[in-house]
Order: sequence, then structure tokens, then C-alpha cells
Amino acid sequence: MSERPTVEAYKKNIQEGKFRALKCSSCGAVITPPLGTCYNCGGNKMEWTNVSGKGKLVSFTVIHVAPDEFAPEVPYIVAIVELAEKSRVTARLAGFDPLKPEAIKIGIPLVLGYEKGKSGKNYLSFRPA
Amino acid sequence: MPLKKTFIVSGAQTKFGALEGVTFREMLAEAVDKATIQAGVPKKEIQAVFLGTFNPEMLIHQGHTAPLLLDYAGLRGLPATRHEAACASGAVALRAGIMAIESGLYDTVLVGGVEKMTSVSTNKVTEALAAAADDEFESGVGLTFPGVFALAAVAHMNRYGTTQEDMALVAVKAHKNAASNPLAQFQKEITLEKAMTPKFVAWPLKLFDCSPISDGAAALVLSSDKKAKQYTDTPVKIVGSGQASASMNLSGRSDLTSFEASVAASRSAYKMANLTPKDIDFAVVHDCFTIAEIIATEDIGFFKPGEGAKAVREGITAKDGAKPINPTGGLKAVGHPVGATGVKQAVEVYKELIGAAGANQVPKHNIGLMHNFGGTGATCVVNIMRRADA
Repeated sequence: MSERPTVEAYKKNIQEGKFRALKCSSCGAVITPPLGTCYNCGGNKMEWTNVSGKGKLVSFTVIHVAPDEFAPEVPYIVAIVELAEKSRVTARLAGFDPLKPEAIKIGIPLVLGYEKGKSGKNYLSFRPA
Repeated sequence: MPLKKTFIVSGAQTKFGALEGVTFREMLAEAVDKATIQAGVPKKEIQAVFLGTFNPEMLIHQGHTAPLLLDYAGLRGLPATRHEAACASGAVALRAGIMAIESGLYDTVLVGGVEKMTSVSTNKVTEALAAAADDEFESGVGLTFPGVFALAAVAHMNRYGTTQEDMALVAVKAHKNAASNPLAQFQKEITLEKAMTPKFVAWPLKLFDCSPISDGAAALVLSSDKKAKQYTDTPVKIVGSGQASASMNLSGRSDLTSFEASVAASRSAYKMANLTPKDIDFAVVHDCFTIAEIIATEDIGFFKPGEGAKAVREGITAKDGAKPINPTGGLKAVGHPVGATGVKQAVEVYKELIGAAGANQVPKHNIGLMHNFGGTGATCVVNIMRRADA
């Protein structure tokens, strides 16, 4: 946990199913996705931190028309999730029928997990808590 | 610092649409000729050129576009720079032109915008557009461009009760206005039922919530107070100009029901112009998606947060309403050749202000505003313009 966080390492952690967030070494703010400077205090020293994996749904959409890379996966849900640590991530949302979006309620509690796409890529994916 | 001396003295656009057989350089040259020779501004008077184009590298495999475009348009030799800010490329080129005049460096400059999008497949266009979002953290999860605005729509619907029908009404209005605009891609009215066709692109956004893939170009000539009257009796003064940026990622923003760069850019334009939203007669806003128009009218302060949809329902934003929005048809129905859009919006405001908008003329036209934003809303430019005699 002592190495300096990089964008490459952040992405690799997701691919390996070992998500970690960044933490500002000066003020402790949790930062996702990576930034070079903390907008809370202006500090530019970052370290890794583990997150609780708890979050809530901020917004979502169901993608029906996608570029080639994701076309075999439609329809799929993309969501903005606010982590318990107050930072937000853009991720997949699982555990719902993408053809019944009206059933998905903003603000519901979610837990962090992973989902392997047909491309073989691992996505951050949340499901209902 | 207030703007002191920048005037628009001419402006024109090509027809927007799928312009088969017309290339990138030919479109820009057509717009340049319309804004110069045909408008009484000799090309030899132009001292510098500022061009907006988004992604010709991926769309037509062409970089270093500014000299290429100028060469064909008969302006070879002039200082030429290309400006890029996704869908706001045109407006950032315009701002560069404004700053060049305000600085006193030049007295007459040309601003242009162009994009050629229909010569490649829709998938290739989708890929080129996705390059305007954060590839590593949003596009990479499978978020698309319509998806970005769908996230904003869901947040707006959840907080304010905005409905899919409200958004469809924006499309109906756009098509109604464009029906009398000979330069529009879609010159045909649509019914509410048609706009509600449940062909989802990114739920809750449907096909008719989205602006089309288009080709087109636009150009305008800016001149200083020393020269403006030489070219026209009806110059239009740019009285305020604001630009702001925001987090590329939607996850980096605290509120998805508003675009913070739009709020910041419009506030600085109002401050510079010493005007308030009440003083503005009409606006041309960036309706790449119907929800974007609703949110933009709130962000520029025309309506309170959450009341943009009500304004559409009540006809306030109609061409003959109290606050006309996109009276010529918007991006939605006129088309959205990405790099041309910001310049075209300025041309539309200019034409409305001088009373040259024909069947799309708004009744009150002393002061107008344009709002152009780029990508996920990470760049926004707002310009306020006033007829010189108003």
C-alpha cells in the first residue's frame, strides 16, 4: 500500500477485482477516479485507501445503442454511485432488469462488486445491498 | 472587464444535413464566401482566422486543418489556428476571435466552424464522439454520449418531476421551428406521438430526443469599432463573453440536474455585459439532447431550477413566446456538425438581432444570448450580443 497511486494501477486493480480509492495524504479526502490534486485542500500527495464498498445510487441510464466494443452487451445499465466515503464513481449496475428501468429507485443502497463484460474486461459493478 | 469593441458584421452557414459529395474544405469555403464576398466584406480585409473543428482526425483522417481550410477558401497566408473543445469548438474559436479584436492586435478577423460526419459509418461517428468523454473512466465502462445526458435526465426527473413527454415537447418545438428554416436538416414538423416513439437510445432518451449526425459549416466576420461601420449599417456588438470548464467525469460533479460550467460561463457573461437574464430577449442554447435544452434554460437563469420543463409546456420558449429558445430549430432539427455548431449559433443570434431571420424571426430582438457546450458539459461558452442601435 505504500507505492504512489497511478492511473494505470487504479485501472489494473479494477481488472483484478481489488478496487482501491485514492486518499489525499494532507486532508484525508477519498478521491475516485484518480486526480493529481485534491480539490478539498489543494494537496498533491496521494496514497491508496480501501473503501467500505457501500454506496448509494445517484443516477443511472440503460444503454441501448453502444459502440462496437460494448454492442454485444446491450441493454446494460450504467450508474453514478456515491460511495459511503462521499466520492463518486461511474460503474455498471447489476441486479435489475434493464428493460424495467422504472423499478430502479434513486438513492437505494448498493454494494460494490465486479462484472466481466463480453469483451473480457472487468467493470466495477454495483448491486442492491 | 467589459468588452469594448467587438462587433459581428456578417455571418452565414451552409445547409446542414447529410451533404453527400461535399467535402470538409468545400463546406467551409462556402460559408466563408457567404460571410465575406457575398456580405460586402472583401477577403483581403481579413487579418487572421480562428477555426473550430472537433475530430477530423478520426472522421476524415485529416489533421492540421486550419491552413488546409484557408488555402481552399482563398485566405492562404493568414495566421490560422484550429480550436477544439468537442461540441464547443466553434464557440471557443469565436472567443479567440473576440480576444484578438479586444486586444487591439487585429481589426477584422474571420471565425469559422466545420465538421464532416456522414462520410463514415454511424459506429465510427459514435467512436469519434465518445472521444469527447473520459475514455479511461466513463466511456470505458460503456457510457455513451446519449448516456451522459440520460444520467442528467434521470436526475432531473427524480428531483423535479420532469417527464419524458416534457422532453418530447422540446423536440416537437424544434421541428416546428425548423420547418420554416431552409438551412435545417429536418424541415418537417413532428407530432408529440411521433416524438414519444419508444425507440430508446439511452433510457429515458429516445431517438427523437437526440440531435442528428450532420455535415455543415458556418462563418462570421468580427470587426473592431473602428471598422465595423464600413461593412454594415447594422453591426451587432458582443457585450459579454464567458467560458468555464468542469470535471470531465459526471462522477466528479456534485449535482447532475445542472451543468456547472453553463452556470459559471453565463454568470461571467452577464457580469461582463452588466445585464441580467431578464434583459435578454431570446436565446440559442445547446440542445444536443432535449433534456440539455431544458437544463440550459435553467442554467442561464431564464427559469428557476426545475422550471425549464414547465416553460416548454406553457409555450414560453416557443418562437412567439415570452422567452423564445432556439427559434430556428436548434441542434435537434437544424443539425449538429459538431465544430460548426458554436459558430452557427452566433450566426443565428446575429441574424435574429438584425431582423434577418425571415420566417424564424423572433418578435423582440434587441439582445440575444448563445450557449454552446462541449462533450459532457466540461466546456461551456456563453456570449451575449446586442444590436448596435438597441
